[in-house]
Amino acid sequence: MMLEIEGLKKKFAGKPALREVGFSVKEGEVFGLLGHNGAGKSTTLGILLGMVAPDAGETKIDGISVQKNRSDALKKVGAIFESPGFYDYLSGYRNLQLLTSYSGGVTNAAIDDVVRRVEMDDRIHSKVGTYSHGMRQRLALAQALLPEPKVLLLDEPTDGLDPEGIKWFRDFILGLREERGMTVLFNSHLLAEVEQMCDRVVILQEGQKVFEGGSADLEEDHLVLSFEVEPPELRQELAEEFGGSLRENKLVLPKDFDPAQAVKRAVEKGGQVREVRRVKRSLEDLYLEFSRKVSR
Amino acid sequence: MMFLTQLRGELTKLFARRRTYVGYGVFLVFELILLVTFQIDSVRSQQEDFMVQNGLAADKYFSSLTVTFMVMAFSLFLLGSIYFALVSGDIVAKEVEDGNMRMVLARPISRFRILLLKFISVCLYTITFVIFVGITGYAMAVIALGVDGGMMAFSPKMKLFAVYPEWGPGMLRLVIAALLIGVSMCTISAVGFLFSCMKMKPATATIMALSVLFLDMVLQEFPIFKPYEANFITYKMSSWLFAFENHFPWAKLADNFVFLIGLDLSLFAIACVIFQMRDFKT
Repeated sequence: MMLEIEGLKKKFAGKPALREVGFSVKEGEVFGLLGHNGAGKSTTLGILLGMVAPDAGETKIDGISVQKNRSDALKKVGAIFESPGFYDYLSGYRNLQLLTSYSGGVTNAAIDDVVRRVEMDDRIHSKVGTYSHGMRQRLALAQALLPEPKVLLLDEPTDGLDPEGIKWFRDFILGLREERGMTVLFNSHLLAEVEQMCDRVVILQEGQKVFEGGSADLEEDHLVLSFEVEPPELRQELAEEFGGSLRENKLVLPKDFDPAQAVKRAVEKGGQVREVRRVKRSLEDLYLEFSRKVSR
Repeated sequence: MMFLTQLRGELTKLFARRRTYVGYGVFLVFELILLVTFQIDSVRSQQEDFMVQNGLAADKYFSSLTVTFMVMAFSLFLLGSIYFALVSGDIVAKEVEDGNMRMVLARPISRFRILLLKFISVCLYTITFVIFVGITGYAMAVIALGVDGGMMAFSPKMKLFAVYPEWGPGMLRLVIAALLIGVSMCTISAVGFLFSCMKMKPATATIMALSVLFLDMVLQEFPIFKPYEANFITYKMSSWLFAFENHFPWAKLADNFVFLIGLDLSLFAIACVIFQMRDFKT
């Protein structure tokens, strides 16, 4: 296993942030850590990077304990944060030199190479304070790739990027996995991103792991029935009666619900059923369902 | 070798920031004001009268060396401490506030080493700042008064009155004193550094550092504490003035500076423990 997270517990000011969270990530896997704000994603990443001390539990990177030997464990790790804190008054190039000096063994030629790969050649000698958010993220990616990490830890890296930027970023990360077999832990609340990028997913909810499995498993296991019912008020009524939910003017019911019974009930109530079809439940549905479960 | 590269990087960060140069600018303005002021006859005669009253020939002792001494003795502590506290209060807290620290902490480098680099940088800044003030102060004094002349050093608080009729010995004592002031001022930087490592805003760290020093200064003036004034931090920080005593007071200087260096190292150690225990999170 490239990443091992075992029994992590953490409280901030007496409030639990993580309640015995554990999972592992195989070498070459793109792994998603999904959850709303405050779910414990950043805390988990912080513990993996040795920035946050856990109250209990341990994290290992390539078999080396971060808590016992942080410097060795982080030697092959690159990290990107949602708002990367660069030295705005220095150039992008000088920032890369400074940050990589803490790792050692990075030549200017290696920096030049990475700069070319993230397509920053033309602006790398400008001050970071003049960069757009997208450029800052590319610079963050460049620093994370120096020197040659085996693991990338990404903390909501596509937040605030435009669709073009998100696609570029996604393709780049997936390309890294293809080329180098890099392991990626992708921390996000952008559900579509996780669905598109990750092989496996852990969903955190209020510091607890509520789901672990493959993205494909989620889709296969959670087919739902979508009903287009008129009038609109009837949708809400049926949703409450059958334990379903409303999405995009449609009534979504659990997959094991008998469609014939649903149609019959809708007609009895004077409604018109225009469409009934089986749809894959997205990660978003699943995530919202967990949210509801916890809030209940 | 890697340590030196990292130190160079740390100094680059420090000296690339405009805020770092505020103090340099203010001191240059201050020295220019003094330069102009000493051209005014009434001010000049006031200084000369003071020397005559002490049995000294004004034309010999109202010199560039004496003026440099006055600049260093009367301005560095009060004015300089603001900039030392500003830079040292910023050095860690500002990086934490701006998110730079998370980027650094994601690297395989120990927290102790990060702090050591920053502490050395801030001490180098402090010492070079004092040397800068000394050199520019002397240069401006030379423009105003010329090179020649002896030196008069005085400080009622430290019970110091010393004269150096020749330029050479006076200059030597001035250079030694400048280095000792640099070391003394590192204590202000160490106090600022300690607060900077705590969970607080950079401005708060600066204000806390200045508060500690001004509190120390004010307390020792209270009659109840007067008998113990030699034990106060700011008193020990003023002990560089002893370097002007005609018989060089090795023991007295060693006593005070061992205390100050020990204090600086203790503050650094406490800062390391506090920093080590902190969680860094979005």
